[in-house]
Amino acid sequence: MEKSVATLDKGTICSSWNYCGQRLATGLIDGTIAIFDTSDPASSSFTSTFKFKVNNGSVTKIVWVPPEYGDAIACISSDGTLSIWEEISEDGEPVQWKQCTSFGGHLEQVLDSQFGNSISSLKLTIAYSNGLAKVYEILDSMELKNWQLQAEFQNITDSVTKFGKASCSSASISWNPERSESRPASFVLGFNSDTPQLNSPKVWEFDQNHQRWLPVAELGDQGDHVYALAWAPNIGRSYELIAAATSNGISVWKMASNPDPNGRLSVEKVGLFSSLGSEVWQMEWDMSGMTLATSGTDGRVRLWQSNLNGIWHEQAVIEPAT
Amino acid sequence: MPGLLTSSGDSSSIVPYSPEPNTPTVYTLHHGLKSPIAPRLSISWSRGNSLRVTVFRSPNTTSNSIDDESGGKVVDLKLSGEDVGSEITDAARWRRIVYGSVSPFAHLQNKKNAMAALSELRHSAPYDGEWSKYVLEYSKEINSLLGNKKSNPISLIEDPKIVLKNVEEPSSLKAAWELLEIFYADKQSHPWIPEQLVDWLSDYDTLLSGQVPSIHLRLVEFQAELISIHEVENEPKYWQAISSALAVGWLDIVVKLLRLHGSYHLNQLGTRETENGLVEAVAVIVSKMPRMRTDLPSGKLGECYYNKSDFMRAWEKWRAQITKLDCSAFWLQCSHHQTKENLKNLLQILLGNISTLSSATCHWVELYIAHFLYIRPFTSGLESMYVLAQKCIQLKPTSSPHKLMRLMLGILEENTEVVLAECSRSFGPWMIAHATELLTAGSIEAEILLKEERDNLGGISIEESHRLVYAQVLSSHALTWQIAPIYLISCTKHGVGLLEILLYKQPAYHSQVLLKNIEICRMYDLDSVSSNAMKIAGVHHWKHGRKGAGVFWLQQARDEVRLNRIAQKLFDFVGKSISDESFEQWEGLIELLGSESRTAGGLEFLHKYRDFKKSLQQVQDGILNDAARKAGEAIISLMKNPSTPQRFWLPLLYDSLKLLNWQEHPLLNASQTNLLLNKLQELSVARLRPDFIEVDLPPNALSSVRVALATNLGRAILEE
Repeated sequence: MEKSVATLDKGTICSSWNYCGQRLATGLIDGTIAIFDTSDPASSSFTSTFKFKVNNGSVTKIVWVPPEYGDAIACISSDGTLSIWEEISEDGEPVQWKQCTSFGGHLEQVLDSQFGNSISSLKLTIAYSNGLAKVYEILDSMELKNWQLQAEFQNITDSVTKFGKASCSSASISWNPERSESRPASFVLGFNSDTPQLNSPKVWEFDQNHQRWLPVAELGDQGDHVYALAWAPNIGRSYELIAAATSNGISVWKMASNPDPNGRLSVEKVGLFSSLGSEVWQMEWDMSGMTLATSGTDGRVRLWQSNLNGIWHEQAVIEPAT
Repeated sequence: MPGLLTSSGDSSSIVPYSPEPNTPTVYTLHHGLKSPIAPRLSISWSRGNSLRVTVFRSPNTTSNSIDDESGGKVVDLKLSGEDVGSEITDAARWRRIVYGSVSPFAHLQNKKNAMAALSELRHSAPYDGEWSKYVLEYSKEINSLLGNKKSNPISLIEDPKIVLKNVEEPSSLKAAWELLEIFYADKQSHPWIPEQLVDWLSDYDTLLSGQVPSIHLRLVEFQAELISIHEVENEPKYWQAISSALAVGWLDIVVKLLRLHGSYHLNQLGTRETENGLVEAVAVIVSKMPRMRTDLPSGKLGECYYNKSDFMRAWEKWRAQITKLDCSAFWLQCSHHQTKENLKNLLQILLGNISTLSSATCHWVELYIAHFLYIRPFTSGLESMYVLAQKCIQLKPTSSPHKLMRLMLGILEENTEVVLAECSRSFGPWMIAHATELLTAGSIEAEILLKEERDNLGGISIEESHRLVYAQVLSSHALTWQIAPIYLISCTKHGVGLLEILLYKQPAYHSQVLLKNIEICRMYDLDSVSSNAMKIAGVHHWKHGRKGAGVFWLQQARDEVRLNRIAQKLFDFVGKSISDESFEQWEGLIELLGSESRTAGGLEFLHKYRDFKKSLQQVQDGILNDAARKAGEAIISLMKNPSTPQRFWLPLLYDSLKLLNWQEHPLLNASQTNLLLNKLQELSVARLRPDFIEVDLPPNALSSVRVALATNLGRAILEE
């Protein structure tokens, strides 16, 4: 039932699998990235193939770029920068990892970042420590060097109000995983900050006609410090499922797929579980969107499912042997 | 999803029908790292039910320590294992079952679709009888995959002292499947259900031994002792074994054991004639027991009766013989007390004495079977069978019933939910995904329960949800994911959605995987999915220096955006080296791109440019006049063509200097030369614009072209 598939280097503090689970990128405390590969798609034993230094600080998070744009990763480092690195062979040289571009820095620290993969173009959302969210769009689908700022906004439902200096310690972004042209691009964003209005998870949708991002739903109350968000894959439900881990616990939200007359998407909390003092670090839906896995500061992985009556419950706890 | 998860193989998994949230199963993850480990675990779902958990060592300690311990481990967890609850732990054997069940399943789905189409055509309900036939065929095929029929576990073999033959241990998966088949699929055989259950128990009583005492276990123990016993008839265990075997209808064993009786010994025959006569009389009566069934496997005893009235007559007659024997005067002459008492006891079993039967059997299923054999050889519907089962349970209660007992009770109770839950938790996703076909064929109530679309499940039916769960299990393994589509495509609501994600999550840059992906997409009309996979492969190859493969797959994907970008890159490349003779490097690419030039606007130019370069090469190689004329035509065609980028104009003209200064006669006529001069003029104007791209040419390039054109114009006018 369990099988060790890779042994990591000393000082590894984060890891991320690519879209097909065939490549692993790990981030080290000294700012190094190690890539793990397997030669054969049927094999499940991964060995380190590339190592390169991306930062002088430590690597805190790695996100893979959608595969339609190559084998590339975005690394968030402890100094608040986000750099995009690509595996490429140029002018007959052997394959190597090269930096394409970077975002953020001292003044605007990157807290979280996710790629939104619509069929026509690649979008990159970055949440900054000053409470701003920026959406960038790729200019050339064959190059990861050039990005254009498409929008910049604060995570608030009311478009008139603006908040001054916000101080955020973490943020979470999760894109709607659906890659269809018929649906507008959308993601959910939440902060853990000193400004309550920014915190609560809000669903942002791209209004194609007016070329702007609009908040279409809010999940939960203002002031909930958001630790992690996860938008479930939808294989045919008439509604969306979004999981949110906040200072209040883990909640699962049902959101309508189609807007009401006011352009809002109605939401309903279908499950709420206390996280018992532990802070959720990561949440992941399985590929069918039926099981949610969470991990947190309590050092355990918990699995959540809904039963036949639509009641969400904690299905299993996985705890590492001591 | 209900029933998706089970723990590490024990049976403490969730029964999905309880409205109460259950306490979660706790599972320990063995990672093999030395402590201290960091509290944060990183998680990532792989395909299907496979969850990858990364365990990190605390970085602070590892950096200080001098040991060369690793810094972390990634562990792959298969949740809802394929072999949950079943004894089939051998992966290869399990995969044979998984692969083997695809074809019967797909075949049945095809039949179902065909029948649905036909009934739509005829505006009538499909013919049930025909469907039952298909379901039975399906059931038999699946059953045969689960192992050989253990038809003769208690067979007679040469050694007279061996009453039980050791055969391959049957699986409870097969036992469960057969139960479902008996009750749901094999409708034609319903009148013979009691005898089917007798056979079922004789095949699988050994499985129940694992959890509760059983007759099988009793016989196994007795057999072990038998070798060392001299006068069996004095041994209570001997008689106990016989009465137990008789109670559940293992008549061949009974007769064989009876004939081990001491009175059969040649030296005893004289003195124990009456005793021997009685033993033999009982043996004959046992072997002539009327059985309500079509046939008996060889070696099995009894007399078969196909229809009820014949059977009843024979049964009455047989019982009359027993009664007659019971009242016989010979018993008084039998001096061996134990023989007399125990033979009488056997007659009580044959006559259906409930307390005798109860003491001869070990658990309720055995008593239940005994009931059918000796008290009530007919059934009158499941309801009465259930009542009888309850009665037997009262007489023989078990504190922790075996999963097969729970399943049987669920079936008898006609409680589809219990049957489903039991299948799901004890036998895993494979079982439930395949068994729903039997259940829905079994009753309308079950069909409604399984096929009704439920909001709580996101708009799908229970049947579909179980198939999705099974498809997830298949998806998690590299050797089985290819068969998941067959199950997904039978899920009308969510199947295609999950299939698309499954296909998207395949490593498209491995050509074998990509080809398989394309094949599956073609089969199910998923063009956009396959073109996306080809796009991923194309970009991967292009970026890894395999430019040809990159272009090829992007073309297959009809990705105009990316092909255009590639064409632009080629332009840049061509622009850099236009005056070199290095076009052979990219000639192949142009060739490849050119075959679909309509997809990328500027490619027409590249094509023409190649032709031009070729002619120019020939001119330089000394193949003169004809080539020069062709090159001349090519330069005009290039310069006329709107798709020729402006930044190429000057390099093109500079390359053509030799043509413009052609010694023998001017290659271009006056109007052609004027056209080129106009272009040159246009270029001079364009140079003033800020976005003009200067090309890397000798500084006198422009003036030498201008002079050459002017000279050529003069000569052309003179010639005309």
